[in-house]
Amino acid sequence: MSISGIESVGFTPYVAPQVGTTGSTALSTGTSDVTGSGKAFGSMVLDGLDRLERVQDTSDQLAVKAATGDLTAIHDYTIAATEANVTTQLTVAVRNKAVEAFNEIMRMQV
Amino acid sequence: MGAFDMLRIANTSLGFHQTWLDALANNIANVNTAKATSENAFQAQMVIARARPDGGVDVAGIAESDPEGRVVNDPESALADADGNVRMPDIDMASQMSQLVMAQRGFQASVQVTKDAQETYASALQIGRS
Repeated sequence: MSISGIESVGFTPYVAPQVGTTGSTALSTGTSDVTGSGKAFGSMVLDGLDRLERVQDTSDQLAVKAATGDLTAIHDYTIAATEANVTTQLTVAVRNKAVEAFNEIMRMQV
Repeated sequence: MGAFDMLRIANTSLGFHQTWLDALANNIANVNTAKATSENAFQAQMVIARARPDGGVDVAGIAESDPEGRVVNDPESALADADGNVRMPDIDMASQMSQLVMAQRGFQASVQVTKDAQETYASALQIGRS
């Protein structure tokens, strides 16, 4: 997808993330194999958690600066806190969706 | 480029407007600062904005006004020379006050952008939630 209007000023259009290869390879090698889509989803969640930790670290450092009087701009902290807040909500939403899917499978009648 | 570009761009704008407000505060504070005629007058500071290629705004630099200033006759001043003259800064108070309002409104507009950004991200999180 190309959006020439905004690309000229440096914006890159949104690209949907890829969740590894799905399909026959993982299923045919049996349940003990974790090299398929299961691992890809796990690493995606872990990446998300790593990013969340970094964002929260930045926010925490700025909170300490605000408390000690070393903060040069108020908005630096409030924006970092907003970013940390939204990232936390996003990570929790992804986790909830994963748990929901897991429960759905566990309830399946066989 | 990330998911929080709207916030990052608003952050650069808040930084620029804060610098502008600081410069205006300094100019207004020194509007009555007299100097001896042998010295340069207080130079008003003017913030130069520059758009960032990846979105947002930067402080490109700070320009200073004419060091000549205005030579004013004030024999009472301790800094007056033999003719009773001192050098006052060439600052237009009306212009500084108008710019103060512009900088303040710009800052407030950027704060509103951050509020709307958070609301937008929050509504994106509602997708698929029952």
